[in-house]
Amino acid sequence: MKMFSLSLRKEIKKTLAFSYKNIIMTKRNFFTIFEMLFWPLISLFSVGLMGSYLEITENKLAFIMIGAISLSVIQLAQLDVTYVLLFDVWSKSLKYTFATPSSFYNMIVGSWLVGILRGFVAFLALSFSSIFIFNFDLTKLPLVELILFLFGLFFTAMLIGMAACILMLIFGRRAEIAAWTLTAIIMLICGIYYPVSILPEGIRFFALLIPVTHFLEYFRTFYGFPPTFSNPLLIGFAQSFVYFLIFIFLSEWSLKRARKNGMIIKLSE
Amino acid sequence: MKAVVCEDIWMTYKTFFGGSKLALRDVSLEIEEGEIFGILGPNAAGKTTLISILSTLLIPDRGKVKVLGMDAFREIKKVRERINISSGLNLPWSLSVYECLKFFSLAYGILEENRIENLIESFELSDFRDVEFEELSTGNKQKLSLAKTFVNDPDLVFLDEPTTGLDPEVARKVRKKIEDIHRERNITIVLTTHYMAEAEQLCDRIVFLNKGKIIAEGTQKELKKIIGAKDVISIEFSSKLDEKVLSKVREAKNIYAFDYRDNKLLLYVDDSEKRVKEVLGMLNPFWDKIKKISMEEATLEDVFLELAKRD
Repeated sequence: MKMFSLSLRKEIKKTLAFSYKNIIMTKRNFFTIFEMLFWPLISLFSVGLMGSYLEITENKLAFIMIGAISLSVIQLAQLDVTYVLLFDVWSKSLKYTFATPSSFYNMIVGSWLVGILRGFVAFLALSFSSIFIFNFDLTKLPLVELILFLFGLFFTAMLIGMAACILMLIFGRRAEIAAWTLTAIIMLICGIYYPVSILPEGIRFFALLIPVTHFLEYFRTFYGFPPTFSNPLLIGFAQSFVYFLIFIFLSEWSLKRARKNGMIIKLSE
Repeated sequence: MKAVVCEDIWMTYKTFFGGSKLALRDVSLEIEEGEIFGILGPNAAGKTTLISILSTLLIPDRGKVKVLGMDAFREIKKVRERINISSGLNLPWSLSVYECLKFFSLAYGILEENRIENLIESFELSDFRDVEFEELSTGNKQKLSLAKTFVNDPDLVFLDEPTTGLDPEVARKVRKKIEDIHRERNITIVLTTHYMAEAEQLCDRIVFLNKGKIIAEGTQKELKKIIGAKDVISIEFSSKLDEKVLSKVREAKNIYAFDYRDNKLLLYVDDSEKRVKEVLGMLNPFWDKIKKISMEEATLEDVFLELAKRD
């Protein structure tokens, strides 16, 4: 029991190491503040103003505002997960991180916690802005449902961040761009500003494989859009869990591969 | 117990476009606990690759590695908890000296504020405690990189070229620090360097790596014995020597190794005082061309150059 408690404490410290690093990096680098507030607000205002100009109904405005807020929250939380590797790649210090006994999951979870924090700050800023400027109240939803929806978004962000890290370990610096493009591609497919039913059939199939499609579908039911399939929340979480297991396996595989082909050393030069 | 045992290591780097480069071939070595072990060789000899394998950052194509009695490829976490590495002057750029040490302490599952403060003090970084890594001088970056190596109180540390790029004064301080740490903590230190003088000063035992292969291993004395030479006679001439005379010198008894370039003749001998008369006798017709004669003890550099030539 004592051994378990000691080992658990060690694991918590290792995880918090990466939260600590991400918090300091975020504090010291001005672009991270921009990421957290400037771009999300710009995105929200443009979408909201476009909606007002087109004189769309209140429900439809809610539909696109949910999309705009979700995109920003996911992108922000995902970037933090990706930064756990990117900051080290940019500092050329990756080999030091991988020389510690911390595991990939310590890195991911530690940075994800900061992602949740930053994502939540952005969520609050966007929600209050949308209340005061566009009269759209995201927070009038029942609290449990809102928490579930947000958790779904953050879980998705972690999965996208993990995917970007795995790609970097496989393809090196040329995959850095995945940090900024993966979320955009996924959001395009998952019906961020439109229902997935309008997508061509082939793409719609892929959309249904993305958890955030189901989380958005679930959330929009509270704004008068009936779900196109049953149990969207359950499907979203089930998919997320399966992808999480797959990504855990892939991350171990890509790390071993990076140790075999020298990618960790190359990314530190 | 041996600190490191590695057998038959082969490592090839594969490029994205299907090419490959052999970095290590058939490397086997044993490192005793508590010694300072040097891995010497020129640039691209495979020193960093070898140290990366021993510190679990790389998996070789073939071979076995045991670190502190543990399998370095299967018991990675356990091995990493007891070792540490300093390799190059790159640490997370936005972290201050204190934050950097705190981050790595946590990443090793430890957080002892006292140890962090002691490291800052003992590596003379107190004045730079809150300075970000990228704003430190090269010397202080190296000190921080070394201090980071001791956050987990390791039994074995790997120092990859610890004085490269440092000015002579800072390099001397860093070498002194390595000696002090070794004396105080009695840990095993594996050090790579291409400065032979540094290895002479610090290392108990040494391997020479050349083109990915170990070409010699032993104590400094043993290595000097390999080429049979204890001393070097160096003679500078004002013009080129006749080939016949050179062959005569080359084939003479008691001259173990020979090098002639840029009108400078280097002769590796067992005893310079005894042999200098014989050599001068052979060079009799060229005495008027002699500019300078000196006799010195053979250095590791002399040994390495000779061995590399034979390889």
